[in-house]
Amino acid sequence: MTSRTTTVLVGVASLFAGLVIPVADAQQASGPVKVVQLTGLAGVKDNAKGTLSVENGQLHFVHGKASSDVSASSIQDVVTAADSQRAVGGTIGLMSMAAPYGGGRVLSLFRTKIDILTVQYRDAVEGLHGAIFSMPIGTAEVIKKNLVAQGARTTASGEPAASSSSLPNKEQKQ
Amino acid sequence: MNRTLKAGIKLSLFTLIFPASPLLAQKNKPAKIKAAALQVEMIESNEIKLPAEFQVALYENLIRQLEKNGFSHVYRDGDRNAASVADLIVLHSTVRGFKAGSERARQVTTVSGATSITIHCQFTSPEGTSLLEQDVNGKVRFFGSNLKATYDFAKKAAHVANENFSTPGRE
Repeated sequence: MTSRTTTVLVGVASLFAGLVIPVADAQQASGPVKVVQLTGLAGVKDNAKGTLSVENGQLHFVHGKASSDVSASSIQDVVTAADSQRAVGGTIGLMSMAAPYGGGRVLSLFRTKIDILTVQYRDAVEGLHGAIFSMPIGTAEVIKKNLVAQGARTTASGEPAASSSSLPNKEQKQ
Repeated sequence: MNRTLKAGIKLSLFTLIFPASPLLAQKNKPAKIKAAALQVEMIESNEIKLPAEFQVALYENLIRQLEKNGFSHVYRDGDRNAASVADLIVLHSTVRGFKAGSERARQVTTVSGATSITIHCQFTSPEGTSLLEQDVNGKVRFFGSNLKATYDFAKKAAHVANENFSTPGRE
């Protein structure tokens, strides 16, 4: 009886540990982070996958053999937000829409949480640029902290802003 | 006989007027304003809180769509080179309405969860004289992420610019 209770307790503890440890790991990651550059970075295609890191006062994005750098001191604003995306995406996600009995719609309910990092920076002639990256949850805040430590400015401080998709579905009018 | 003659006259009048109507319509169309270059200011959202990613996506998509529509010189907000350009048009955009919507709700229900943005676009001279003002909206109703509404807005805004302004080498 006692051994059974112990087994159940160990099982529950491992389950919680399994849920908590990846988040803690993600938050402590200081090396390159796997990201998707959604839009905005000069010379990089939309939705380009790559790695993002902060080193030597530069925001460094590597995509395949190409790389792109933005000086931290030129960054006017860096903002993080939380969002979510379909757990099953891409071609399979698109094909699942045709699944019978609303199977595709059920798949849409399964979503993974992601972080969004938005940076606004000035180029050599003071022209304003903006870039948006999506990345694993917990990593955007680390990159933001590193950028701020290396000279980037931010208008938002503290916790990440509310998700654009989790915002109340209420229209704001002037 | 008389009836056939009347019908013939009516038909010939119709054939004369029908092809001439587009020509008349073109005459009534206001002349395009000359613009050597366009400068796009950052999207303002002081009264309505817009997520930062939406603000940046609107701005970047707008610049991209204007360049795609044949505006060879599109300057960014704060670009020093724009100061010396003659016939420069400045585009100010202010958020007037925003409904965040939900991608999940769109995918699950199809009919709900639409994202929409309404932006007041004001084209001015560098001195601030208003040349054209119009509300433009961007929507995503069925497929795609919420940010797709910014692409829809940019396409429509670029179309407005294309209809009202002419740049050298492009009529």
